[in-house]
Amino acid sequence: MTFELELRGITKRYPGVLANDAVDLAVHPAEIHAIVGENGAGKTTLMSLLYGLFPPDEGEIFIRGEPVRFDSALDAIAAGLGMVHQSFKLFPTLNVADNVVFRQEPTRRGLIDRAAGAARVKDLAERYGLAVDPEAAVEDLPVGVLQRVEILKALYRDAQVLILDEPTAVLTPQERDQLFEVIRRLREAGRTILFITHKLGEVMAISDRVTVLRRGRAVAHLTTSETDPAEITMHMTGRAVDLDRRAPEHQSDQVVLEVGNLTVLGGHGRPVVEEADFEVRSGEIVGIAGVAGNGQSELIEALCGLRETDAGTVTLSGRDITHADVTERRRAGLAYIPEDRYGVGTTRQASVAANLMMGHHRRPGIQNKGWLDRGAVAALARRLVEVFGIKVASVSGPVETLSGGNLQKVVVSREMEHQTPLLIAEQPTRGLDIGAIEFVHGQLIEYRDRGGAVLLVSAELSEILALSTRILVMFEGHIVACLDPRKVAEPEIGLYMTGSHLENQVA
Amino acid sequence: MPRKVLEELQDLSRRALVSPVTFSLLFAFALAASIVAVTGGNPLAAGEEMFTGAVTGSGLRNTLGRAIPIVGMALAVSVAFRSGIINLGGEGQMVIGGLAGTIVAIYVPGPGFLIVPLAMFTGAVVGALWALLPAYGQTRLQLPILITSLLLNYVARAITGFLVRFPLADVSVTLATTRQVPETTRMPKMPLFGGVSLSLILVILMVVGLWLVYSRTVMGYETQMAGFNMRSARYGGIDVEQRTVQVMMVAGAIGGLIGTHLIIGEALRFIDGELVLSGFAWTGLLVSLLAVNRPIPIFVTGLFFSGLQIGGLAMQRNAGVSWRLSQVLQAVVIVAVACRLVIRRRDRRPSQPVDAETAGVGEV
Repeated sequence: MTFELELRGITKRYPGVLANDAVDLAVHPAEIHAIVGENGAGKTTLMSLLYGLFPPDEGEIFIRGEPVRFDSALDAIAAGLGMVHQSFKLFPTLNVADNVVFRQEPTRRGLIDRAAGAARVKDLAERYGLAVDPEAAVEDLPVGVLQRVEILKALYRDAQVLILDEPTAVLTPQERDQLFEVIRRLREAGRTILFITHKLGEVMAISDRVTVLRRGRAVAHLTTSETDPAEITMHMTGRAVDLDRRAPEHQSDQVVLEVGNLTVLGGHGRPVVEEADFEVRSGEIVGIAGVAGNGQSELIEALCGLRETDAGTVTLSGRDITHADVTERRRAGLAYIPEDRYGVGTTRQASVAANLMMGHHRRPGIQNKGWLDRGAVAALARRLVEVFGIKVASVSGPVETLSGGNLQKVVVSREMEHQTPLLIAEQPTRGLDIGAIEFVHGQLIEYRDRGGAVLLVSAELSEILALSTRILVMFEGHIVACLDPRKVAEPEIGLYMTGSHLENQVA
Repeated sequence: MPRKVLEELQDLSRRALVSPVTFSLLFAFALAASIVAVTGGNPLAAGEEMFTGAVTGSGLRNTLGRAIPIVGMALAVSVAFRSGIINLGGEGQMVIGGLAGTIVAIYVPGPGFLIVPLAMFTGAVVGALWALLPAYGQTRLQLPILITSLLLNYVARAITGFLVRFPLADVSVTLATTRQVPETTRMPKMPLFGGVSLSLILVILMVVGLWLVYSRTVMGYETQMAGFNMRSARYGGIDVEQRTVQVMMVAGAIGGLIGTHLIIGEALRFIDGELVLSGFAWTGLLVSLLAVNRPIPIFVTGLFFSGLQIGGLAMQRNAGVSWRLSQVLQAVVIVAVACRLVIRRRDRRPSQPVDAETAGVGEV
C-alpha cells in the first residue's frame, strides 16, 4: 500500500538546537493523523518543512510514493497540500466567497465572475457540511466560522492533504464538535488530514493514528484505537502525569475578595459587566467560565485597577478598593497573572531579571533608600528561575528569547512570590504544553492550600473543572450561574456559556 | 582575569565591526569625500584639515566647549525618550531656564562662587517648572506631550523675546539683548587645553549620574520599564503618571542648566533668538537617537558631532571646503544608521506563516 504522504529521516538544525531529528512520518490516504507533542517538540517546524516554508537539512518527502522537493509553499500547494494556520489570514472587509477564490477567481470574458465564485464556494461548503454563507462579510463572523473559511480556501485549491495547526485552540466546545464533524466528512470524501494538537482528548476523539514528537524526534507511532491518553502522555513527556485532580474541601469563612453589584461600561456606554456579585474566600479557587468576550477580561481588569468601575464595590481583605489604583491594590494584597503575557505580563525588551523583579522592586531588601541591591535582585531572579524551573541561559539575558511556557513561568513565579491573600489568574495555561500546565496547576493548588484565595478565569473547561471549588459562568456580562464542579457536567456548563439556558426559559 | 578582559575586548571589537554605526560612518565619509572630489576639491586634504582642526590646539578646546551643550541637550532628550515620553520641548526649556539663570547672574549681588551656582540652580528650577506644563497637560488633560512641548517652544521664545526687549533690555546697544553678565559671575574656565568651561565637569557628572540612576536605582528601573512597555509597567504597579512628571522635570532642569551655561559661560548676553539659532536642542536630539538614549554613548557621540562641527569650520578656513559639508556628514550618518537599523530588524523578523500564506494564495 502506498502512503499518501511520507517523511523519511527529516532533520532540521538551528544554531544550538536540533528542531527535528531524523523524523519519520507515514500517513495513509483518507486518514486522520494526529501529531502531538509538547510546545517546542518540533511540530511546527516539521509542518513548515512539509509545507515548503524552508528546506530540511536532511531527509526526503514522498507524496503518493513520488519523491518531491518543495522550494516554497506554492510547490506544496501544487502537490495537493493545504494548511490552516492558527491565526487566520483573511480580508475582513471582503465576503466569504471573495476570500476563498482570491487570486483564483473564475472569470468570464476576462472579468471576475463573482456569482460563479459564490456558487462554487456554496457548492463546496454544502458538500462537506461547512455551514458558511458565501455572501457574509468576514469581519462579522465568529472565529469558528472563520476557520471554516480557511478550510474552504484549502479545499477550493483542491488540497488532498489538509494540515490543521492547533485548530481547536480558539473554539468553544460546540464549535469544536462541529469542526470534528467536518473533519470526518472530509475523511469520508477521501481527503487526508494532519491534525496538530497537544490536547489528548481531541486525539482520542478524532484521530485514526498518532505520531508523538518529543524534543524533535518522533518517539512513537500509535494507532488510536489501541492506545490511551496515559500512554500518549508518557511518550510526550517521558513520564506519567496526572492532570485530573479534583479540589479537596477547604472551606473557610474568611472572605478575601468581595465584589458587590459591579458594573463596568464599555464603548458606547454599553455595560460589558453588569451587576457582578460574588465573593472569594481564603482556601478556595473560584473559576470563571465563559466563551471569550463575555465580560471576563473587563471584570478582571476592573478588579485589578486597569479599568474604571462604573458602579458597585470591590472589597479586598476588608478594605474598599473600588477606586484604588493598581499600586494601592497590589499593596492591599492582590497579585495578578494577566491573560496577555506578551503585552502586559512581561516587557519583552527587558531582561529576565528585570521582568522577575517587577512589583518586587520596592521591597526593602531589594532596594534601600531608592538604590537597588543588585545582589539581592540577582538572588531573587536566580531563586525563582531555579524553584520554578524556568529555562534560561542567564537571568541578564533578554526575556524575548524565552518560549511561551517559560515566559508564563516568569509571570506565574513572580506573582506567586508576592504571597498575597488574593491571586487572580487569567488564562494561566493558554498555549502551554502538558508539562507546563501541570506545573501551573500544581502551583495554583499549592497557593490555595496555603490559605490563598484564587480567582481563576479560563476558556478551558477542563481546567475550570479540575481546579475550582466553585464555578461562576459569565454570559454577555452577567454571571448567569454558580455551580458546584462535583455536581455538574461539561455539557451543562456549555449551555450556560452559550446562553442556551435562557432560550430554554423563554420557551 | 586578563584573559577575560581580552575576550571581552575581542567581543567588543567584533560587535563594533558589524555595528550599524560603523557602517554609517564609513558610508557618510565616503559620500562626503566623493562630494568634495566631484566639486573639484581634494578630499584627503579636506579630511585632514577637518581632523586636525577638531583635535589640535584651540580646536580641541572648541570641540570640548561645543560638546557641553550638545551632550547636555542630548541627555535632556534621552531621559524623556527612555521613559517613552516624546519631549520635543528641550529648546523652550533651555531658553526659558537660560534667561532665568542669566537674570540671577546679572542682577543678584554677591560673590561669584555663590552667584554662579545660584544662577545654574535657578536655570534648572525654571526649566523644570516650564517642563511641568506639558507634563501635567498629559497626565491631567490627556494632551500629548509631543505636541504641547513642541508648541511651548514658541511661547518660551516669545516670552524671553519680550523680556529682553523691554524690562531687561540693554538700551546702550541696538540689539534686543540683556546687559552683559558681570565678570565676577561668569562660569569659570578650567586651565585645560587653553580654557574649557567648568560646565564640562557638570556634564560629565550628569553622564555618570544618569548611568548610575539607570543601572542602580528604583527610579531608573521604573522609568525604563515604563518606557519599554507602559501597559506592563502600569500592571506591575508603577505610577506611570507620577514618573512622567518627574522625568519631564529632570529633562527641563537639564535644559535650564545648559541654557544658563550657554549665556554665563559662553555668550555672556542673552540675545533674543540666539539660543534658538544655535540648534543645540535639535543636534542633541539626533545625538540621543543615535546613541539609543544611553548616557555614555551619548557623551562619545556628542563629542564626535562637536568635532565634526568645529573641524568643519577649520576645513572651510584652510581647505576652502564649505563647513556645511560637516552638516551633510551629520545628516548622512543619521539617515544611514536609521536605514541600517530598519534593515536589520527586517532580517530578524521570522518570516514563516505570513509569507507562505500570501505566496500560497498567489499562484495555484
